[in-house]
Amino acid sequence: MLQKLLEPTPLPPSFKANRVRAGDSLYNEILDFLYDEAEMLDNLRLSEWAELITKDLEYNAPLRHTRTTTQFAQTYSRNVQHLHENYGSMMMRVKRITDTKSAWGEDPPSRIKRLVSNVRVFKTDKENEFKVESYLLLTRSRFDFDYFDLIPCVRHDILRREGSELKLARREILLDQVVIGTPNLGIIL
Amino acid sequence: MQRSANPTLSDGTKLSDLINLETREVKMRTLSDPELYELEMERIFGKTWVFLGHETEIPNKGDFVVRDMGSDSVLMARGADNEVYVSLNVCPHRGMKISTHDVGNTQVHVCIYHGWAFKPNGDFIGAPVEKECMHGTMMTKEQLSLKKARVAIYGGLVFATWNIEGPSFDEFLGDAKWYFDTLWCRTDSGMEVLGPPQRFTIRANWKTACEQSASDGFHVLTLHRWLSEVGPYRKPGSEGGGGDLTPEMYGTEVYTAHAHTMRCIELDRKIRRLTGKEPADLSVKEKLEALPPPGLTKEMLPEMLRRFSDDQLKVMAWRPPQVGNFFPNGLFEFVYIPTPDGVIGVMALHAYVPKGPDKLEFVNWILAEKDTPPELKATMLRLGVQLLGTSGMVEQDDSDTWPHQTLAAKGAMSKEITLKYQAMYDNAKPEGWPGPGDVGDGFTKDDTQWRWWQYWHELMSAEN
Repeated sequence: MLQKLLEPTPLPPSFKANRVRAGDSLYNEILDFLYDEAEMLDNLRLSEWAELITKDLEYNAPLRHTRTTTQFAQTYSRNVQHLHENYGSMMMRVKRITDTKSAWGEDPPSRIKRLVSNVRVFKTDKENEFKVESYLLLTRSRFDFDYFDLIPCVRHDILRREGSELKLARREILLDQVVIGTPNLGIIL
Repeated sequence: MQRSANPTLSDGTKLSDLINLETREVKMRTLSDPELYELEMERIFGKTWVFLGHETEIPNKGDFVVRDMGSDSVLMARGADNEVYVSLNVCPHRGMKISTHDVGNTQVHVCIYHGWAFKPNGDFIGAPVEKECMHGTMMTKEQLSLKKARVAIYGGLVFATWNIEGPSFDEFLGDAKWYFDTLWCRTDSGMEVLGPPQRFTIRANWKTACEQSASDGFHVLTLHRWLSEVGPYRKPGSEGGGGDLTPEMYGTEVYTAHAHTMRCIELDRKIRRLTGKEPADLSVKEKLEALPPPGLTKEMLPEMLRRFSDDQLKVMAWRPPQVGNFFPNGLFEFVYIPTPDGVIGVMALHAYVPKGPDKLEFVNWILAEKDTPPELKATMLRLGVQLLGTSGMVEQDDSDTWPHQTLAAKGAMSKEITLKYQAMYDNAKPEGWPGPGDVGDGFTKDDTQWRWWQYWHELMSAEN
């Protein structure tokens, strides 16, 4: 019962038959969306980013475990997660940064590059929704520290066309690290 | 380093030079010194009871998780007899880590190096090719078991110690038990974790997190000010937030001989808001019904009321422990979070695992009572994730602060600067306070954190 309440809506499968080929105009539009989103977040335009998310947003980052090869599918935990957000809680995270003078975990802000690659687009049963898989390598530079915190992950998104705009309706972030190597996930992935 | 009752570091500095018991100061150097770190692993993590997890993480025979006791990896496993065992996760043969997994189930832990096999309780089963007796004949199988720790289960929490002949777990808790029972032992069914813990690394000394965990109230005012700017403690009607968390700073603080401490924050304002009545005019039962403890519903109260003395219930309805620590490296939160849908409880446990003088691992469990309705569990879990741990909007400010303290502790001048704990309670217990331990009343002070350092010093000066 609890598991059911916590599980995100299942993502549609990534069928080859539903693949939108690289170079297709839809593919290019989605690629532009991801690049624009990365640029927006890297430059702290969080209020603009908040316009890109839908009111029924599901935004999650499961935990990861080290297990045997045969248990690879069981390496994700989706009850307790690193992020388990909806529209309201994402807006609170945005407002904490934009509307206060004491969001110390990101003030002064990190310098971040969101390197997006390996983008694969799939059509879904819903005509206006697309499943988008992408790799994200996030580099985070904080204060005068000479090292970068690296956050490599795969993102499984649902992008929805609302009017002429694409919006982010769903994102699941699959992190590589079992023990996250940055002092907090006070940033948007 | 000389390891005496007053250990001397290689540059001649004595432990007694680092802490001033009269003026309540601790030199910054303690927050990064590698020699002190080594001594802490022996004299603190090798001696005290250490919090490792919750028994509901390993419900079935053979279930195990890999955890840390200080700088050592351990297996926490459920044996064939259904008991919980904690053993060093290191093969007694050639020192390979026995399990490199985080979690799993097995009746036999086989070391992948030379194949020595062990039961979940740590017993040595044998090496491959039994008839050739690869382990020789000089030592018995019993002698070749994994090194076993002594285990105590308390309210479902798993603690272990290498101090096999040392004080019992109840002695270790001391006066804190009277209060901790009201957190961990509230229902007949007990508590459960809502999933595995979040884990992340912070480049900071373990003590930066742990001295704060000993009920540092002051930092909330400044470091967590956002809570009253846009967060859940924003006062209704106040333009632009207001940013004053001062009212949350009043209550009772408890500190005990072994440096388990807690902040018992007053519920009167919340109860007044919820009921429209003066708390003084309400009975203990009425107050608990208006604002049940985190994770409990009104329906669950009759069972809870049966389990506690009138004195304990009085504290639970008035100033319950909301945040505090288990010495040396555990923190608990049983907080009442105002939300648009009413007050929601969040229950979390942290372990701040030392990973070298300049690194710690933050481990965060989120819990509920087994009997908490699933919808409430889900709400508590989501709120817990939003406020605490890896991405928590409250704790991301803490984890960004501790590395700076650790770095500062290395400066030739700054390592001689002192941490100061000089805000002292000068009043007695609040009138009618029924609980044991040392108790301070009113606005938060430094006594709880100072007690943490006093006990740190006591253990660091103990030769055996």
